Order: sequence, then structure tokens, then C-alpha cells
Amino acid sequence: MKIRPGRVIAYLFLIVLGIFGAAPFLYLAVLSTKKRIEILAQVPPTLNLNWTQIVKNYNEVLFSQGMLAFTLNSIIVVGIATAAAILIGTPAAYAFSRLRFKHSEQLASTILSMRFMPPIAVAIPLFLMVKTAGLQDSYPGLVLPYIAFSLPLVVWIMIGFFDEIPSEIDEAAMIDGCTRVGVLWHVMLPIVRPGLVTAALFGALFIWNEFLVALYVIDSRAFQTISLGAATLVSAQRPIDWNIAATVGVVTVIPILLFSLFVQRYIVRGLTAGAVK
Amino acid sequence: MSLATTAATQTKFVFGTRDEPGRAVWLLLGPCLLYLIVFSIYPLFHSLRLSLTDLTAATGTGNFVGLANYRALLVDPLFWNAAMNSAIMVFFSVSIQVVLGVALAMFFNLQLKGGWIVRGILLLPMLMTPIIVGVMWRALLNPDWGLVNWAIKQIGLTPPDWLGSVGMSMVTVILVDCWQWTPFVFIIVFARLQALSQDVFEAAQVDGAGPFVTFRRITLPMLTPAIVFAAVFRAVDAFRSFDLIYGLSYGGPARSTTTLSFFSFQNGFQFQNYGYAAAVAYMMLLILAVGTTVMLRYVQIRPGNSR
Repeated sequence: MKIRPGRVIAYLFLIVLGIFGAAPFLYLAVLSTKKRIEILAQVPPTLNLNWTQIVKNYNEVLFSQGMLAFTLNSIIVVGIATAAAILIGTPAAYAFSRLRFKHSEQLASTILSMRFMPPIAVAIPLFLMVKTAGLQDSYPGLVLPYIAFSLPLVVWIMIGFFDEIPSEIDEAAMIDGCTRVGVLWHVMLPIVRPGLVTAALFGALFIWNEFLVALYVIDSRAFQTISLGAATLVSAQRPIDWNIAATVGVVTVIPILLFSLFVQRYIVRGLTAGAVK
Repeated sequence: MSLATTAATQTKFVFGTRDEPGRAVWLLLGPCLLYLIVFSIYPLFHSLRLSLTDLTAATGTGNFVGLANYRALLVDPLFWNAAMNSAIMVFFSVSIQVVLGVALAMFFNLQLKGGWIVRGILLLPMLMTPIIVGVMWRALLNPDWGLVNWAIKQIGLTPPDWLGSVGMSMVTVILVDCWQWTPFVFIIVFARLQALSQDVFEAAQVDGAGPFVTFRRITLPMLTPAIVFAAVFRAVDAFRSFDLIYGLSYGGPARSTTTLSFFSFQNGFQFQNYGYAAAVAYMMLLILAVGTTVMLRYVQIRPGNSR
């Protein structure tokens, strides 16, 4: 095989790109192993692992400052909200994909356009609603608005998946005596499972990082989610303890990293759902 | 609630095979519509109502003041400052991200071995919590010990005051936004690029077209739908983004990075001036509605009815 110079340059560029891409994360990881004073003194930071300090930093962030609890809160809130959004959104997407009724196009576009709604436009009313219902500082107080946030995305993604299944399958099942709801439950759901995974992943991602509504609804530390907990952790102290802030950063990146390993297969489909094909 | 029932009665079912009761549509669609009416449409109307009052947290209910908030807003230099900042951020963020995203897509289209690993790394930022992105870059750009400034000094240049100066802070916000969101444009354009038929490129090669001409005359036109799609999404998301600024610059210094989202947030959350905050949010909705309507004339977003 002959070596082409263009190819070599391309590989060099790829390596540089990889280094630049990974550097901010590695930097954060290195900072999270340091004493507070070391960060100010060592520029650039050296990699000499001091296990007692590492344990101390992570113990402080995960347990004393409660990041582990915040992560669990996020998992609970996002998990329930996503499951509910799938449960409500999938039948709606099926209806939009299969059934013809008046204004179906306008109705679908209206729902889809809600994906673009700025959270700032609904945060205050949602907060007032939650407060009136006495749900401040509770899981339902976050779950209820979050379902509404991820619902349009779920419907959007699922319409795309249902549209790909030939409607002859539905018709065959209905001739065999299945009702519409029966078709969806017994015939469609098994076929459309990859779609459900994609919709769940992206519905979850859409609310995982939500910050504004959480800021309004949650006061008590017991119910803070990752983004809110991280924000209060890094802005409460003044000046910031950068080793702790970096540790918070690493702790929040880890779930994302795990998530991205799962999401790789689906990412294009999830992001381009509804895109021109 | 009344909205839901009128929607139900108005829905006439054209699809009418014998075992297709209209009830099925309502059963499938009802929960979703009802939910969005209660938790999205109603809050939007509530916001509109709030924007017509002088509600602050202290007074409790607030008095109806008509369009006073909107009139105040139109002569408020702080509002125009925020609108200007939003416009600058959206324009430059989206432009830079489109150029870099397309360039990256072309590069990864070379199909280098191991490319998927680097691609995975490059996609990470867009999954990150924006608050943490802000904190991460505050560390990287720290004037005293940050890695970026150290690197710039190593090559003999003077690093700018990234987040501390009025002239630089918006540039920094835009650069960090590009770091986080260029991958989004990249992955969408890349997916489209992978799906293109190779025949056209082979034909171009046979006809003796160079790489530059091929890109200008063939690749770019075929990528345009994907680019427009990505740009529309990015424009809307950059316009409504709030957390990144909260984590990175908190709107400062001297309001130089206060965008409309952040301006509304400050009025609502910090000053508890709910009426005014809602009016700012409604101006944003108005801009979004006009902006997306204009943009969507050029791009189909609904699956199924694409050309």
C-alpha cells in the first residue's frame, strides 16, 4: 500500500481533533484530583495522583454535598416523566400517523411547534400552578411539567417511526378482528420498539439538563436535580473551590458518558427526527 | 377544560370504516391533547395574562394594567440591549456552527480508521448540562491558572480577558456555544452526507471536476436541506438558551451577555417582577413565531409530507 501525503495529514488532523475534543474533559478530571491550593500553584496541572485527596474530593461532592442524591433525584424525575410521555405520546403519534381526521395536520404542527417553546415563557405559570397544588419541593412538582416538555419530542419521533411501517399491516390485523387500540398494543408496539427506545432516550435527554423550572419549583436540597444541584454547588461558595467544582463537573459528565455509549446507535435518528428525508 | 371539549366535538372523522369508531381517535389522541392543554397551552395563556398585570411576588394577585408592560419595554434601553445581544448571539453562533459543522462532516466523510472514536468524543459536549459547560469553561479560561491562557502564553501571545471585559464576554459566550453545539450541525449534515448516492460524485469525477468545484456545485446543494434544518434548530435553541449564560457569565459584565431569556429571568426570578418578565417572554414568543414561520417556508419539518 502506498502512503499518500494527503491521507497522512488527514490522520494527523484527526488526532489533533481528538486531543482538542478530549482535553477539556481530561483537564476537569485532573483538576478533580487536586487540593484547592494546587490548582492555583500548578499551571499547567501535573498528573500525580494522590489517592487520599481524590477520595476526599469525591467523598465531599458525592456524599457531603449530595451530588449522588441529586443524581438519583434526576433519574427518578426523568425516568417517570419519560415513561409517562411515552405512554401518552405513542398513541397520539399513532393516531397522527394512521387516522385521518379534520385538522390533523394543524394539530400535529401545533404539538410539534411546542418543542421550540422557550421555557422562560411558561416557567412562572408552571411554578404558580405547582405552588397552588402544593407540589413545591416534590417529585410530582417536576415530573408534571417535564412530561409536557418531552411530550412534543416523543410524538414527533414516534410519528416518524409509525410512518415507516406499511399500513397494510394494520389493515390485515383489523380484518382479523383487531380494534385500533388492539392493533397499536399487540401489533405495532413490538415492531416499533427501536422507535420507543429512540423516543425515550431523546425525551429523557431533553429534560435531563432542564434547569429553569427546577430553579423555580425546588427550594429544598432534598429534591434538587443534577443541573440545579450542580449550579447551587458551584455558585454558593465564593470564591469557588475549583477542585470541588471540577469534581462536580466530572460527576455530572459520567452519566452523560454512559448515556452516549448507548445513544450512539440512535443519535442520528433521534436528532434528525422530522428532518427532511 | 372547555377548550378540550370543543376540540373533541369539532373533530370529525373522515376515516370511517365500519369498525373504526371515532372514539378510537379520541382514545388515542385525547390524553396527549389534554395533557398539553393543561401543562403547555394554559401556562402560555397564563403568561399572556400575567404580562398584562403588574404582578410582583409581594402583591400576590396584581392589577390589570393593559399594555403598560409592553409600552415600558419598548422604551427600556435594557430590553433593547438584551434584544441586541440575543440577535448577535444567534447570528454568529449559528453562522460559525454551520461552517464548522459542514467542514467537520466533510472531513469525517473521508472515512478515516478510528474516526468513530473521535466522533464520539466530539459529540459529548452537546449532551452536557449547560451549567457545567459554563463552569468547565470558566476553569479553562481562568485568567490566573486556566489551561487556555497558559497555552496562549506558551506561544508568546497575550490572552484576552475572556469573561471579564465588556468587549470580549459575548465573543466568549458565542465560542463556548459553538464548542457545545457545532457537533449538532456536524452530525445532521454528516448523516445526510452518508446517505447521498455516490453516482453523482463519480460522474463529476469522470467529467473532470476538481474537489472544490464538486463541493460548490454538487455536494453543497445536496446538503442544503440538512444544513437549513440544523440551522433552524440551532437558531431557535440559541435564542431560547439560558442555562449556558447562567453558568458562564451570569449576563455580565455590565449586561454585555444579558440575552432576552436572561433578561426575562432576571426580572422574574431575581426582581420578582412577574408581569414585566412575562411581557419580555411574550416578545420572545412573538419573535420566535415570526422567525420560525419565515424559516419554515423553506424547510418542511413534519415527517411524511416531505418532498
